[in-house]
Amino acid sequence: MVTVSLEVQILFAGLLFLIGLVGLLVRRNIIFMLMSIEIMLNSAGLVFVIAGSHWAQADGQVMFIFILTVAAAEVSVGLALILQMYHHFKTLDADALNTLRDKNER
Amino acid sequence: MTALDFICLAPFLLLASAPIIIMLTITITRNIKVVYGFSLLMFLLSFISLFIVAPYIPHVIAPLFIIDSYSLLFLAIIIFAGFLITILSYIYISQQGDDKEEYFIILFVAALGASVLVVANHFISFFLGLETLSISLYILVAYIKTRSYSIEAGVKFLVIASVASAFLLFGMGLIYTATGSMNFKGVASALGSLHALSPILLTGFVMLLVGIGFKLALVPFHMWLPDVYQGAPAPVTALIATISKGAVLAIALRFFMDIQGFNNQAIFIALSAIAIISMFTGNLLALNQGNLKRMLAYSSIAHFGYLLITLLAGSTEGIHSAIFYIASYIITTLGAFGIISLLSVCSGNADSIDDYKGLFYKNPFMAIVMSLAMLSLAGIPLTAGFIAKFYLVLAGVKSGLWLLAFSLVINSVISLYYYLRVVTTMFTTSDQVKPSTIPLMGNLVLVVIVIGILFLGILPAWVSDIIASLS
Repeated sequence: MVTVSLEVQILFAGLLFLIGLVGLLVRRNIIFMLMSIEIMLNSAGLVFVIAGSHWAQADGQVMFIFILTVAAAEVSVGLALILQMYHHFKTLDADALNTLRDKNER
Repeated sequence: MTALDFICLAPFLLLASAPIIIMLTITITRNIKVVYGFSLLMFLLSFISLFIVAPYIPHVIAPLFIIDSYSLLFLAIIIFAGFLITILSYIYISQQGDDKEEYFIILFVAALGASVLVVANHFISFFLGLETLSISLYILVAYIKTRSYSIEAGVKFLVIASVASAFLLFGMGLIYTATGSMNFKGVASALGSLHALSPILLTGFVMLLVGIGFKLALVPFHMWLPDVYQGAPAPVTALIATISKGAVLAIALRFFMDIQGFNNQAIFIALSAIAIISMFTGNLLALNQGNLKRMLAYSSIAHFGYLLITLLAGSTEGIHSAIFYIASYIITTLGAFGIISLLSVCSGNADSIDDYKGLFYKNPFMAIVMSLAMLSLAGIPLTAGFIAKFYLVLAGVKSGLWLLAFSLVINSVISLYYYLRVVTTMFTTSDQVKPSTIPLMGNLVLVVIVIGILFLGILPAWVSDIIASLS
């Protein structure tokens, strides 16, 4: 069996994180932005799994389960907010959310 | 777990049982008065339970929590603020549409998340506390769903805070990879055996710093804060400004002290730069704001820039001054947002500074409380803010942080301009003299806040002795 070194595994997780970050910055559709955030969270979970197997501890996997749970809670709130957003703004374009800003009234 | 563990967890168990019981009461009858009274009772009970826990500290509940005097003080501050925010929220939310009772459920979950944060001793409890707090804040920010700007603020907050969590988590993962421990003390001892930071570890710390920077809204991660402050209902803004930020600072301070982060040159320089930029950016952007909530958001960016001094001082004086600063900042901010939310109830949204024109002639008491809060934020003597800043400068100077202390003093002068502008606006005459009445409980909150600000400002020794004697 071929073993992959720790650095390569971490680099892979880092690449996944970057994909998520770039997706978040490039995409304007709020659902795709939420998906990119999920990718970022899961890449962080992957780091914990890698570290857990590297140190032969269960802690990494335990943390991953917590991350999954929290990400699910976050997405459920996120989707509810997106429904409300569509209700008010009639679009899923994040750029439409621009009513709150500095006005410099004075 | 032993019986002692359960005794020490009493405040948390009380805070956690409150949402369940409220849910059960809602299934029987929807009555906001019952829910409100019960919420006050639960906050009161969990505050009293702190005195039961006090004889047993320091107590470690391995591996996740540590309950010591430091966390107990922060717990007291959080529960006290939660109590006052419950009253403000009731006055505000009872004027809104349907589904008012669930607000208090989420308020308790947010308070629970913040309380877990201040006792966290491990990456898992750090992460869980932070997410419990953040996710309940997303809901609270967008709670009044008929307002499109509240929804906008909620979506913005959700995206930014989730990205911050992802950064934080990735950083934690990298630190775990490099050190093999998720416990703060374990990380510290693993770091002690290393001579230089490996690239993995350094990246981990930078990402952790980015995550905390987002949560505390330090420059350059501050863009979301004014929008969220403006869009959220006023009591929720008070919650974000006080409980949420205070708890995140508490955990950042604990982690930083445990790993002795101030000894690392690179981290020290990065944090100093962030602190100074935050002070200047926050204060300069606040100068020209016409919206009071946005102005307070920028001022809070500056205040958390000041508070970074306590992280860099790396001394017990630093920790003590941080606790005192947080306490006085929370009571002062509650005063300011208390007025905003009480006025929003009387006369629609009271966001713009122009809404405060002639407030002194309509309601002198409110105007005086607001002036006191503004003077305290500016750091004028005889108010809590002055003593807090004094301790902060003292801690900074003792550790030789002259540049930071110096820029704090300069920024205090800059900030005087916009705080005093609010005060002068309230005392100018205006044609539309329409007396506004506030409910009895609202007055009570304001009286408590006035007493708090003046007490901390005139007799600080009493509180600072307590803080000094505990740790």
